[in-house]
Amino acid sequence: MTISRKCVPFTPFESSLAKSTVALVTAGGVHLRDQEGFNIADELGDLSFRVLPEDVDSQRLMVTHHHYDHTDADRDINVVFPIDVLRDLEAEGFIGGIAKKHIGYMGYTMQLKAMYEGTAREIANEIDKGSRADVVVLTGG
Amino acid sequence: MKGVSTVLITVSPEVTAQMRPPRALYPNGFKVGNSLGKPHMRELQLSVLRDALGLLAKNTRPGEIVTREYPDYGEYHEPPRTRKLV
Repeated sequence: MTISRKCVPFTPFESSLAKSTVALVTAGGVHLRDQEGFNIADELGDLSFRVLPEDVDSQRLMVTHHHYDHTDADRDINVVFPIDVLRDLEAEGFIGGIAKKHIGYMGYTMQLKAMYEGTAREIANEIDKGSRADVVVLTGG
Repeated sequence: MKGVSTVLITVSPEVTAQMRPPRALYPNGFKVGNSLGKPHMRELQLSVLRDALGLLAKNTRPGEIVTREYPDYGEYHEPPRTRKLV
C-alpha cells in the first residue's frame, strides 16, 4: 500500500484513556545497556530498532545518538522516554495500563525512504503483535 | 492491522509539520533533548504527558500541532527551523 503524501494517517480514538494501554516509541536513540547500541559511525544512520520490555528498569536504559545533546536524558531517561512518568499515570488511573513492549530507534537517517517504508512499518508491526497497545506516544529527542 | 491511535510530543514543530503527524503536542520553548522537560522534574513531566495523551480525546484536526505553555520549565529555546531552499 502506498501512503498518499497528502493524507494524514489519522486513526480515531474512540475509547477512554482510563481503559487504554499505552506504548512508547522514541526516536531518541534509547536502548538497554546490554543491547547493542545504534551505529553512529555510519553517516547514513542506523535503520534498526530495539524492543524494550514492559518491566524495563529506567536505570538500565541509555542513549546512543549523536544528533542531539542527550546530557539530560543521561541523567533522567524520562525526558525523552517517559516510562516512569507513564507508570505514575497508570497508578493514578489516568491510563488503564502499560503496553507489553516499547520501542527505541535512532531518529536520524539519510535513508528516509527505507526508514519510512521499512523501519516504520516494522515498528508498527512489532507494536501490533503482542504489545496490547491501544495508544502509542511518540517522542523524538 | 487495525491501526493504533498515536500522539507525538515534538520540540521541533516546524520540522515535524512536514511529516503531518496525526496528533502532536509542542511544549513551547523546550529544547531538543527535553521532550518531557528537565531531568527529575516529575510534576512537569506528568503535565506534558497528560496533555499529550489528552489530545487523543480532543477533537484535534489531523496534522495539527498543539502548542502549550509550561512556565515551570523556566527557559525558552528557539526550535530548529527547516532549511529554506533558494
